[in-house]
Amino acid sequence: MNRHYYRLILGLSIPAFLWLVPTLWMVSLSFQPNDVLARTTSTTALGLIPIPFTWENYADLFQFGQVPVWFLNSLIVSVGMTLAVLAVSTTAGYALARLEFPFKEPLVVLCLMGLMVPEQAVFIPLYTMFADWNWHNSHHALILPRVAVPIGVFLMMQFFKAIPRDIEEAARIDGVGWLQIFWHVMLPLARPAMMTLAILTFLYAWNDYLWPLVSAQQREFFTITLGLASIQSNFAQAEGLGRVMASGVIASLPVVVLFLIFQRYVVRAMTAGGTKG
Amino acid sequence: MPRHPGQRFALSQRQAAVVLLLPFLAVYGLFLVYPFFKGVWISLHDWNLMEVAFNPDAKAYVGLENYERVMWGRNIVWGALASPVLQIIGLIGVCLSLFLHRTGRAGRTTALTMGIAAVLLFVLPGFHPGEEGRWFDRRFWPTVGNTILFVGLAVPGVTVTALLLAAALNGETRAKATLRTLFFLSQVLSVTVVTLIWQIMFSPRQGLIANLTELFGGTPITWLTAEGFAMAAIVIATIWWSLGIAMILFLAGLQDISKDLYEAAALDNATGTQAFWHITLPNLKRTITVVVVLQIILHFQVFGQSHLMTNGGPNDSTQVLVRYIYQTAFRDSDLGRASAMAVFLFVIMGSFSILQFVLGREKDQ
Repeated sequence: MNRHYYRLILGLSIPAFLWLVPTLWMVSLSFQPNDVLARTTSTTALGLIPIPFTWENYADLFQFGQVPVWFLNSLIVSVGMTLAVLAVSTTAGYALARLEFPFKEPLVVLCLMGLMVPEQAVFIPLYTMFADWNWHNSHHALILPRVAVPIGVFLMMQFFKAIPRDIEEAARIDGVGWLQIFWHVMLPLARPAMMTLAILTFLYAWNDYLWPLVSAQQREFFTITLGLASIQSNFAQAEGLGRVMASGVIASLPVVVLFLIFQRYVVRAMTAGGTKG
Repeated sequence: MPRHPGQRFALSQRQAAVVLLLPFLAVYGLFLVYPFFKGVWISLHDWNLMEVAFNPDAKAYVGLENYERVMWGRNIVWGALASPVLQIIGLIGVCLSLFLHRTGRAGRTTALTMGIAAVLLFVLPGFHPGEEGRWFDRRFWPTVGNTILFVGLAVPGVTVTALLLAAALNGETRAKATLRTLFFLSQVLSVTVVTLIWQIMFSPRQGLIANLTELFGGTPITWLTAEGFAMAAIVIATIWWSLGIAMILFLAGLQDISKDLYEAAALDNATGTQAFWHITLPNLKRTITVVVVLQIILHFQVFGQSHLMTNGGPNDSTQVLVRYIYQTAFRDSDLGRASAMAVFLFVIMGSFSILQFVLGREKDQ
């Protein structure tokens, strides 16, 4: 390693720190007392260091307000959506990649066309449908529309296509049925792809804003992402800046932890989701 | 041949396909294909959200009237120089794409895409209300304009920053990996966290930027409520938020460039900036195009930043298309008009999706 390299790293550390400042500031503000913040947000080092320090904002979150309920809703919706997407995508992806049946090509094209339809083009008709069925303000109303998006089917289809055929042919000669091959042979092989798809879906579910905004009108069915939007418009007066920032930290915690643990999968998931969905 | 015990109940290949495909196709048909066509159908009706909710017959078929009420006006005429700057740029673009194609400097797809975009830029801004004419909806085209402006600022901003960072951070060392993580981190946050952070960052009374300005004796800017600054503010927040994906895609593209090229260049004393211009950029052309198209699709759907940070203001200067659709549908209850706009959005984004698909195909060959 030469001097040039160290200069580069040092030179880039400054923008990287600046890039982190907004997030750090949110975390730091969440640990400062509300009455101090009402006067000034720049007590110590422009407010980047939480002195005076307090846990109160977090304690308050769990005592008053609906942040725990919203957090739970987000968890139910995100996990439910992830499981549902995995179930329909692995099955359909395997059938489209490996089984022979009539009208297969047109079906693939039909599914491909679904990738072109953005959420914003269907959220109004979906709203009227769910209103007719009295489905709004429920967890399944928040889950189902995304399960229909074919991105997962395509990711799984591509993955299954890349697995050598002799693995399942050996099983076929032994007389194993197609469903057993799918369940006992192919699914275990597909774990990395499923992991990528799971993370892609979970991140989407946790962060989605538009559909929950339309579908969930009762506050007890808000997701944390939607709930956070509902308290930020009047943050200074009603709740206190520190508490709103604490809510923001809590809302970000699962995705940030997920990112730090499964960084490689997250990057792969976002690349796959970005280039194809 | 001895039969496998389970085979008596085993399904044929076709039956297995049906069983495996059915769950997805049911959900796909019900929650994507059907709503899509229902959306088009709603756009052909005078459809009030509240009235139809109470009485399903309270809608009336009006044909294309919603589209006319959104996009057209009274006495609309076309002039070759109604909006001179844009139209002249369009004309230059047409000539340029023809020239590039003739001299073989641009491929067919690239030249064709550029040509179509340039023709549209020449034709569309030419429409304007004639004498005593007016648009039926005065807000629609300005809203589309704001959305395009937002895309036009955010996409180059993200692309250039991400490209430079990717070029600098390409490599296997631990320090580089850590820096990549730091730059990528904001990408996983939700739009509401991002707007929460930046709303307070930009706040003239409590904001970090205002505090800094005051420290140096300046007067804080009211970013989110000053015309001109509001758009800049949501663009800055967006660049901060969505740099990560672009950077990762560029890093993936950089992996495909052979190391030999850089070594050969180093022999000619071309390193650093020179290597970036003469080797990195030309070899990343395809990736850059893909990333740009991807970003256009992504940022054309902008909603949260405008809805939460500026409320579309001041003076409608940050009103964007999705927010206008949302408001028309759920505040004004005019589902017909909102659906017509949603179809318009679909057509634009669909064309870019097709472009993305074509580009992806070319890459495979």
